[in-house]
Amino acid sequence: MLRRLRYWLDSGRRSEALREEMELHLAERVAELQEDGMTPEGARAEARRRFGNVGQKQEESREIWMTRFLAELGQDLRYGCRTMMVNKAFSALAVLSLALGIGANTAIYSLMESILLRSLPVADPESLVVLNWHGQPPPKGGDRRWESVVHGIQGMFWPGNKGSLVSGIFPYPALETLREENPVFSTVFGYFDGHNTTRAVRGEAVSTPTEYVTGEYFRGLSVSPAAGRLIGSEDDRPGAAPAAVISFATSQNRFGGPTNAIGQSILVDNISFTVIGVTPPEFFGVDPAKAPDLYLPLRTVLLLEGARAARQFADENFYWIEMMGRLRPGVSLAQAQAVLAPRFHQWVASTATTDGERANLPALILNPGAAGLGSLRRQFSKPLFVLLAMVGLILAITCANIANLLLARAAARRREMAIRLSLGAGRLRVVRQLLTESVMLASLGGALGVVFAIWGMRTLTFLLSFGQRRNLTLHAELNWSVLGVTAALSVICGLLFGLAPAIQSTRPDVVPALRDGRGGGQRRRAMNVLVVAQIAMSFVMLVAAGLFVRTLNNLHSVQLGYSRENILLFSLNARQAGHRDPEITNFYADLRKRFEAIPGVGSATLSHSSLISAGMAGSPIKGEMKIGAVTIEDAGVLAAGPRFLTTMQIPLLAGREIDERDQRGSPPVAVISEKMARTYFGNENPVGRRIRLVDEKRDLEIVGVSANLRYGGLKEEEESSMTMFVAASQISPERMTYALHTSGDPLRLVKSVREIVWQADSRIPVTNVATQAVEIDKTISRELTFAKLCTGFAVLALLIACVGLYGTMSYTVARQVSEIGIRMALGAQRGSVVWMVLRRVLLMAAAGLAISVPAALFASRLVKSFLFGTQPNDPATLALAGAVLLSAAILAGYVPARRASRIDPLVALRHE
Amino acid sequence: MGRKSKKNDSLPGSLDMLILRTLSLRDLHGYGIVQFIQQSSNNELLIEEGSLYPALQRLEVNGWIDGVWGVTSNNRRARIYKITAAGRKQLAVETRKYAKLTLAIAHVMGAE
Repeated sequence: MLRRLRYWLDSGRRSEALREEMELHLAERVAELQEDGMTPEGARAEARRRFGNVGQKQEESREIWMTRFLAELGQDLRYGCRTMMVNKAFSALAVLSLALGIGANTAIYSLMESILLRSLPVADPESLVVLNWHGQPPPKGGDRRWESVVHGIQGMFWPGNKGSLVSGIFPYPALETLREENPVFSTVFGYFDGHNTTRAVRGEAVSTPTEYVTGEYFRGLSVSPAAGRLIGSEDDRPGAAPAAVISFATSQNRFGGPTNAIGQSILVDNISFTVIGVTPPEFFGVDPAKAPDLYLPLRTVLLLEGARAARQFADENFYWIEMMGRLRPGVSLAQAQAVLAPRFHQWVASTATTDGERANLPALILNPGAAGLGSLRRQFSKPLFVLLAMVGLILAITCANIANLLLARAAARRREMAIRLSLGAGRLRVVRQLLTESVMLASLGGALGVVFAIWGMRTLTFLLSFGQRRNLTLHAELNWSVLGVTAALSVICGLLFGLAPAIQSTRPDVVPALRDGRGGGQRRRAMNVLVVAQIAMSFVMLVAAGLFVRTLNNLHSVQLGYSRENILLFSLNARQAGHRDPEITNFYADLRKRFEAIPGVGSATLSHSSLISAGMAGSPIKGEMKIGAVTIEDAGVLAAGPRFLTTMQIPLLAGREIDERDQRGSPPVAVISEKMARTYFGNENPVGRRIRLVDEKRDLEIVGVSANLRYGGLKEEEESSMTMFVAASQISPERMTYALHTSGDPLRLVKSVREIVWQADSRIPVTNVATQAVEIDKTISRELTFAKLCTGFAVLALLIACVGLYGTMSYTVARQVSEIGIRMALGAQRGSVVWMVLRRVLLMAAAGLAISVPAALFASRLVKSFLFGTQPNDPATLALAGAVLLSAAILAGYVPARRASRIDPLVALRHE
Repeated sequence: MGRKSKKNDSLPGSLDMLILRTLSLRDLHGYGIVQFIQQSSNNELLIEEGSLYPALQRLEVNGWIDGVWGVTSNNRRARIYKITAAGRKQLAVETRKYAKLTLAIAHVMGAE
């Protein structure tokens, strides 16, 4: 069979060889006939005549090995079908468990494929290059200043190799430098995440993810418009008419199609733009983590953000714009790196002013850009590998389980095999037939698995994108690559779990099998090994699940210091709708009063950010703060409106909270947390003392002290940091987040909220609507997902392993009926029979544990970065996992043990 | 020409046996096998030369002969076939069957 398969595989080469052989034959015949005196033409004709039809003979030769192979395959398939129909329960169980295993693997793999492997949907993505730089991170501890040419940033950093800092943001002059006369790039283009702008079409306003792009952006990416034209260099220069490009989805949702959108006027943050084009449906920009709906020429940032942005363009030390380039044909990434790195170095050195800065210059690195920016990959690659490892283990357990069931079944088929072998069937032939059966099972499992995978992918996408706004780009799908992997996986599984039983059951010791159809000590050993392996793998998964659940519990038990339930949060950005100081303060304050008047609202307040994401929002106060001569370090500042403490149910310990008395013109006030009061005032009463804002040149008067609370995310390490509240009315606000304390389900009030905002100003969209509980859970979505998935996976693994254990023990007991019968006839007690079986179960469980404890200890260290408040070798978790495993094993073993103890010695012996 | 009538169709399957027999004497390439069979049968057995190749494939698939690339006596690249151990066993089986069959036929033809 293998030989035939080989022929089949290289049939092309064989056909070629055959042709050559036949040609040689004809040539030799011709030569000989000519020697006999024939003319060359005559000889050729005669040779051909004697040979017969060349094409037909070739065809016949080819068919010889093909047809037999296929005919036998057909036989095996038919026989396999019959076997499967006979053992319906077994087949159903096997197919179902395989479907779960393969489905889970397919789902995870399809996600990996979509996140880690897929290229941008643009022409020739391979020649795209992302420009990054790396440098030394700021020193730990606040003593030494970070001396760097990077004076200001707007964008992201992430950790690189060996503790370095990597980023993709550059000063605008760097873009200009790299753009001129570039020998390795045909285009260099820049872009800049504009986050959310407010876009209004015919009076209806929505918050819109926006990307600012240079004039070369679309040309560099080789994107052609779905309608109109895309942004070009002529749109990205000072004084050009404000032009906008919108995404395909937006054109459909808002204008009823791409062509209708062209020439329409839209308001972006209250400034009028003309829609000049629509991107193609599959295009989502350069970052798979984002999907901008609006593309604006880079220069229009001046219109939207004003003078501050103007300074950015000229500042050589302000890092904000991201860049990509397209390699010229024939230029490699390494060549480009070699050309551009020195050029960038020269430029960046000229921006350094001190020796400290010169010692720590950013160095340019080029990365492949085919798959776009890596933020999504950085975020998901490790979690996905962990999940893949888990579902891989599940599949391995499943395979072991089916191998086990097949081994048990092989006992039943032993006579059948023995008869076949003794009738002269080749052993390989029988093995092949058995393998066909198991691959059939696996293929059915795989097919059903695809169904599970579709469901699983939806769930996973939902779970993983939890907390992110729409994730258009994160759409895992079944494509040929994924289906190919599934098919390969099924076949491999079939071979894996089929091979050992097939070889076992065709062992050539035919005679004893024929005689009594019993025996099989070796088979039992193989089954035991498989069960031990299953137990070991289940334990690793249980430990993982335990650690993740513990992590989640730890996160949930973090003391917030404020109310989690019955709070509705939402954000408004009046500035983007054209409101300006000082009117904007009144506008926000007025809205708060109106929200408070909604029936069912206990109190309403506002702050510049929700408490849980305050760490990300940045401080509303710039520069140093001093109490007397002492500088305040590490205090989190929140700009809060009236009744913030009441709404959040933060206890007030002294003085008063911020209220409506604190107006724009009135004396600036602050409320500080207990920890801050203790740190800077000891046991003195801080109320009435002052905090000096050095840069803003004004003083805050402390009017109250609150209890401690958690400022920022749950995972931040410092225990309850110091917090300071300032009056929202006394700063210059941008976006505001409102919080409503409600008596019932907070989400019921969303409609009233939207109506009130609509009445106040229809140009302002209500965004980020969520309950406080959900807002908090969003920040730990990964931990939530992991805990849920891993618990599910571990339970599944344990279940499958228990089925395996149960099956093995039942088989063992069935084998030992007569032995147990004799023992009982000789006076053995039921208890001792139960113990005899259970002892074996415990032995296997102990062996499994002995193998897997070190494995679990090693594996859990790999997920250390996912854990919070617990160590990878957490003894409690290990003990708990062990206990769960042992009790499950005893449970699975008890049923057969009980059955063994119920054996009637008389019946058992008569049976013999 | 009367050659066609002498084509080996009287005993189906005997071509395999003839090839095995030929190769049991020495390793040969396709043309050589044809030549050998014709010469040693004094040109009585003239096989349709093209039929040799499907037969060779069949024998090779069954593992009775092995083909390797080699060089012919006049220095041309060709697949040289040699008989395998399984092939020799098969030849013995076929020879026995053939002997039985011819004997049986001889009996029938000789019975008066």
